[in-house]
Amino acid sequence: MEEDISAAPADTWDAGDIGCGELVMYLGMRLKAMPGKVLKLIARDPGAPADLPAYCRMTGHKLVHADPASCTYWIEARR
Amino acid sequence: MPGKFCVSLTCGKDNTDKSTVAFVVANAAVASDKEALVFLNIEGVRLSQKGYADDIHEDGFAPLKELVENFVKAGGQIYVCSPCFKKRKLDENNLVPGATIVGGAKLVEFMSENCPSVSY
Repeated sequence: MEEDISAAPADTWDAGDIGCGELVMYLGMRLKAMPGKVLKLIARDPGAPADLPAYCRMTGHKLVHADPASCTYWIEARR
Repeated sequence: MPGKFCVSLTCGKDNTDKSTVAFVVANAAVASDKEALVFLNIEGVRLSQKGYADDIHEDGFAPLKELVENFVKAGGQIYVCSPCFKKRKLDENNLVPGATIVGGAKLVEFMSENCPSVSY
């Protein structure tokens, strides 16, 4: 994913070590409240690099950029 | 006959009969040209660690280590439940080949379309 992520995200959420169902449940609640905007997510769960792309494919949110090395993800909420 | 097949495995050395038969069935799935997945969860996540299965050999079956290796070599995938893995303080740097730590979303995506499953 090489899209421009220079624009400031509308919000940032440090999810810490939350993972699995809890991570995507709370993520979904946040994204639902900010349609069309980009959330910068920090997720340190070891399952997040596999989970977040799958979650976005299923839900229609757009994974704009992922940097698993820094546990950081930019997700554009579906409109 | 293409398609998916998921084997959910909740046991490690607490029930070596189940952990062995799970991989026997998984091997049958991948040998039948299925997109086969073993989902390791609960005590089953211990099988994600190199060396753990080395001394598991049920009578009448191939050694579990060999079953796991053959499954991966044939193209099978192994998903490892992230919260179960963290709870047991296992080592991310000691995963067997073919194993990926995942959360629920990855499993749900895999199973979302016509995916029969069996659980041990």
